[in-house]
Amino acid sequence: MTVQQHVPKQNSPKENKYDPNESKYAKSASEFRANVSRDLSNDELKSNFRGAMDYLMDKRKVALSNEDELETLREQCKLIKQRCLLKLPTLLEQLEQNLEANGIRVHWAETITQANEIITTLIQDKNGKTVVKGKSMVSEETSLNDYLEDRDIECLESDMGEYIVQLAHEHPSHIIMPAIHQNKKQVADLFADKIEGFKHTTDVDALIGEGRRVLREKFCHADVGITGVNFAVAETGTLCLVENEGNGRMCTTVPDLHIAITGIEKVVEFLDDVPPLLSLLTRSATGQIISTYFNMISSPRKNGEKDGPKEVHLVLLDNGRSQAFADEEMRQTLQCIRCGACMNHCPVYTRIGGHAYGTVYPGPIGKIVSPHMLGLEATNSLPTASSLCGACGEVCPVKIPIPKLLLRLRSESNKPANTDGHKQIMKGEGSGRKKVEASIWFVWQLMHKHAFIYNSSMWFATRLRKLMPAKIGVWTSVRSAPKLAPKTLHERVKAHQAQTKKQQS
Amino acid sequence: MTALNTQHLRYYPEKPKQVYLYGTCLADTLYPDSGIDAITLLEQQGIEVIFPQGQTCCGQPAYNSGYQDEAKAVALAQVAQFSLDIPIVIISGSCGGMMRHHYPELLKDEPNIQAFCDRIFEFTEFLIKVLKIKLTDQGKPEKVALHTSCAARREMGVHITGKNLIEQLEHVELITHKYESECCGFGGTFAVKHGDISAAMVKDKTANLLDADVVRYISADWGCMTNIDGALEFQKKSLRGEHIASYLLKRTQNKASQSEGTEK
Amino acid sequence: MSTQNKTPSQTSKNNILAKLKEQVGGADYTKLSKEFAYQYPALSKAEQKKQFISLLEANHAEVIMLEPQEIPTMIRKVLTTRGITRLLGGKASPLENYLLELTNNNSAENTISIQYYDFNLSDPANKDRLFNESPVSITSAHSAIAATGTIVLWPTTEEPRSLSLVPPVHIVVVEEKTLYQDFDSLIKAQQWQNKMPTNIILASGPSKTADIQQTLAYGAHGPKELIVLLVP
Repeated sequence: MTVQQHVPKQNSPKENKYDPNESKYAKSASEFRANVSRDLSNDELKSNFRGAMDYLMDKRKVALSNEDELETLREQCKLIKQRCLLKLPTLLEQLEQNLEANGIRVHWAETITQANEIITTLIQDKNGKTVVKGKSMVSEETSLNDYLEDRDIECLESDMGEYIVQLAHEHPSHIIMPAIHQNKKQVADLFADKIEGFKHTTDVDALIGEGRRVLREKFCHADVGITGVNFAVAETGTLCLVENEGNGRMCTTVPDLHIAITGIEKVVEFLDDVPPLLSLLTRSATGQIISTYFNMISSPRKNGEKDGPKEVHLVLLDNGRSQAFADEEMRQTLQCIRCGACMNHCPVYTRIGGHAYGTVYPGPIGKIVSPHMLGLEATNSLPTASSLCGACGEVCPVKIPIPKLLLRLRSESNKPANTDGHKQIMKGEGSGRKKVEASIWFVWQLMHKHAFIYNSSMWFATRLRKLMPAKIGVWTSVRSAPKLAPKTLHERVKAHQAQTKKQQS
Repeated sequence: MTALNTQHLRYYPEKPKQVYLYGTCLADTLYPDSGIDAITLLEQQGIEVIFPQGQTCCGQPAYNSGYQDEAKAVALAQVAQFSLDIPIVIISGSCGGMMRHHYPELLKDEPNIQAFCDRIFEFTEFLIKVLKIKLTDQGKPEKVALHTSCAARREMGVHITGKNLIEQLEHVELITHKYESECCGFGGTFAVKHGDISAAMVKDKTANLLDADVVRYISADWGCMTNIDGALEFQKKSLRGEHIASYLLKRTQNKASQSEGTEK
Repeated sequence: MSTQNKTPSQTSKNNILAKLKEQVGGADYTKLSKEFAYQYPALSKAEQKKQFISLLEANHAEVIMLEPQEIPTMIRKVLTTRGITRLLGGKASPLENYLLELTNNNSAENTISIQYYDFNLSDPANKDRLFNESPVSITSAHSAIAATGTIVLWPTTEEPRSLSLVPPVHIVVVEEKTLYQDFDSLIKAQQWQNKMPTNIILASGPSKTADIQQTLAYGAHGPKELIVLLVP
């Protein structure tokens, strides 16, 4: 089989340099604070999310009620992913070898633009004009839809949630349920507005029926199907997809060309690594013991077969993953199997919703992975936007220590200027360091390291407590100011011990 | 359960003759009564309590802000204060979690740091697991709620031992408030750096506590209580929290504890 | 074939792998922790069957238990109650004899016409017919899984992939004797890693979605109805 030369037709080949600002999400991520302000005041949004998160948390709880099983599975899945990450380069090579032997072509992209260029070329080579998409968060990362539309290739989302979001010119607000920020009335209004001939109703069966009708026609006539991948099995050269709707099957079966795109961390070593991961993925995500369909693709259409794509391609994307990989602690970020449990349990996500983050991946996982994809400079507000409650780490099926990684990112963000020439660990490290804050902690350190400074400072503070301001910035916008005690505990203990001695003598 | 909480796994010693008390910086400056009450309670159990005057802060504020070097310097200073091989009882689950579970990594170059960390016990944990305390409730019947800080819950298992203690009080009915395990929004510097999100969280927490229709809520963490009580006061509600050390002392004495009527 | 000029994809591949190998090249795999699987209690065949059926039914599949010789009559019943007179099946499939018998039993009052999927889907006219003129399909099943209420489909040249996907009603014949307790034991017992076909589908009910305000709706893009004919 000849290797096709994939030389981009449009622009001259870009220098292969990872530029965090390549993605439009760098801008929206840096607008986090403004986004939060906007969404916190949206009561309908908050109500939608509260309802949705409660639903998902309850479902998961029921499905994973056997604590023994849950903890055994979590440990097993963590170790599986850690093993696969330790062997990552070898497994990627093995995956490519076996996929190619099966007739599935493999392409590699360091940057999101490279990925888009590869995909566009594959489509243009076949004069493809219409693409139907199964759900792929990685394709959101590359903003593939926009890229294709700019080149006159129609790209229609077929997952119901993605379809709704595309109609509304929005982005997904959750990695599993893209339209979770909308309630059924909002969807009904949207359909009535955008779909010709649709009669307004909030009956969900009718709404879904309408989506089915519109998209069925697209499946029938699309030139290309594009999907993501949940697990890529190195041992057998197999791409596995998890879904409930059947649109993934449609995209991977009906058009003559199927292109799959995924991150380099999605490869697993053995076929029998899949069952435990699948079992914990679906139950962590939606509380289902299994998704309606589990699709395992190992080759394009073979001789004698009557359907299936004639060509299947896989695009492997880096986009900052190798940066996370390079640090042993942050490598754990790549254990993620994209279940969404972390965001379902996050009190911050529940209140600000998924769009406020301005990143492709919202919630706790979004906070620890986006700095690698978009650079720390654009995402500096994210690691601090957490009370470190730990609800996410508690439910993560692969035991990613998310609070610990948030702390690590805060540390990287506050790093002093690289005066000793140490190897840069992250793009944008130190970009969050503020002189004022650094001075505060410097003084704090002095005070708390030396007890006599501490004790005397506190003596003054307590004696002057009536001078404590009643308004302390944002704290006192919803709370009264804390009140210093008349005497410190240090002093009170001295008195208490003196009194006890007196009583004893 | 998370990997951090080792309440069901760790070794608990026999009742000791002496313990250290770690007061925490918040109790020191804002709520010293709870420190005294904790000491009194322990002394009533026949234990000598040593309070090193050189203690200041566990270092968590700097640690959580990503200023590890500063946190490390202060942490080392704390460790030096507690050199006797006796238990260190802390009246805060989040500071307890910091010293027990985060010091080993923060101070990994310190010889024998694990031995130090193994001596850390959160107050309610110590009462239940080491002292195996049996409380006699002398107070009037009342309904209370329990708010456990996230770190106390997930790192020190305080939602279990704190609950055990309150359930021992015969005339106290413990009401589970809605979204009991959800964060109150304090998160230390989080409340300042992302004040609007924190405000949204504390609003919900206060609403849920008020909804439980209790006379007070009990907690073992002053970080949360400063946050929640501050919000309740701002909302002009009368509900307030009480530190579990003070509450237990009060209930077992049937007289005003030192924490009542102290000028604030 | 090696060329002087590497494609961008090859360059990316080399760069990515180099970065990864720099970190873990020469890693000691013997230091990896042992992985323990959860030991699920073994279920008897009867318990497995019960679990299989109840999970499918909970997912809105219809499960009919019957003897093989009853299949043609049951198919007729399923179609007649839905007012359908056309059935799409695989040519020379394991179900061929049942379909022949079904045809033989056609009467003037009750005629089911069997269409066979022996066309190339790439032809737009065939696509149109499959999408718009095929109300119900029937396929055999490869195996089944009790723990998740799952039917395993291994599409073949006789029973193509889209046969069980596109028609809104899908009838599938499952043999009880191909039932395994869970996915893991099925893969291991049959050594799947040595013989992966073009495509395998694990189907656990009719298609559905909860994407609109978490409200479950059936019949998203895959079949709206899944009817399982369970024979011994």
